[in-house]
Amino acid sequence: MTERKDNRDDPVLPKGRQEDDALGLFFAAARAETPQPGGDFLARIEAQALAEQPRVSSPAPVVLPRRPERLAQLREALGGWIGVTGLATACAAGILIGVSSQDSLSVFWGGDAAGLGTLGVDPLSGFDLALMEG
Amino acid sequence: MPFEAMSTAADEDLLADYAAGNASAARVLTQRLAPRVFAHAMRMLGGDRAEAEDVSQEALLRLWRAAPGWRMGEAKVSTWLYRVTANLCIDRIRRRRGGTDIDSVPEPVDETPSAAAGLQQQARAEALQGALDALPDRQRQAVILRHIEGLPNPEIAEIMDIGPRAVESLVARGKRALEAALIGRRAELGYEDDD
Repeated sequence: MTERKDNRDDPVLPKGRQEDDALGLFFAAARAETPQPGGDFLARIEAQALAEQPRVSSPAPVVLPRRPERLAQLREALGGWIGVTGLATACAAGILIGVSSQDSLSVFWGGDAAGLGTLGVDPLSGFDLALMEG
Repeated sequence: MPFEAMSTAADEDLLADYAAGNASAARVLTQRLAPRVFAHAMRMLGGDRAEAEDVSQEALLRLWRAAPGWRMGEAKVSTWLYRVTANLCIDRIRRRRGGTDIDSVPEPVDETPSAAAGLQQQARAEALQGALDALPDRQRQAVILRHIEGLPNPEIAEIMDIGPRAVESLVARGKRALEAALIGRRAELGYEDDD
């Protein structure tokens, strides 16, 4: 706020009026007797100012788009759940075939005629035999 | 803004700091503005301390709430605050007097008790306050802002939402009424010795 000033320094009043303004003496007394607020009142105003003060909210955390997890990436690469299911089935079948005895698998081949034992599959290739026999 | 820089900062800058959540700005603004608002309310309300405190609290509350939307460069905080304070005071005076338009009521005779010769400054200030209380609201406001608060006419015009020439007219009429009420009492208030 603008500081108070004595009307003797008043740039608005003509110079001659400043000195002989009879009311100036009363105004000077009023300025010297400026009413002062009490300490309790000032404390109340300060508390009110702090209570009304806008709270500076911390910036909202930025939500970054989540990177897909590795498993999800793999799943997508295999063609989604359908692809994964097919692959899992194929793996299970492969393991089953691998661990089963040849004869037990004959049921899948349509009886003894098609049994692996009957077919006489030689586990060694010609290359292997040549290598062993020198 | 650093705390030590706040004592010299403009009201508008402090208000921006206040709106930004700076608690120190709230304290500095309170210390700077509350006494002036209170003094202005006291003079407008004829020295009623309780009412002046109520008005000051209300005026400052409005300032705190206006702070976030304050547009820098549009209005001075002091001008805005003087206007709000005076309007609140005038509202109270009108309610107190039963809602009559006191500008149309003949000015009452100054009933301030005679001050004995030798009374000091306080008696003179009280005599002036008594004479001010007898003025119509707008005249009283203009005279207080011009001759006690020491504001220039253009700022008073902005506070009162009137033209500078209207301010001059109000001040001149107010001073004539004050002179009529006080000049005759200069001797009893000890002013003859000051001349």
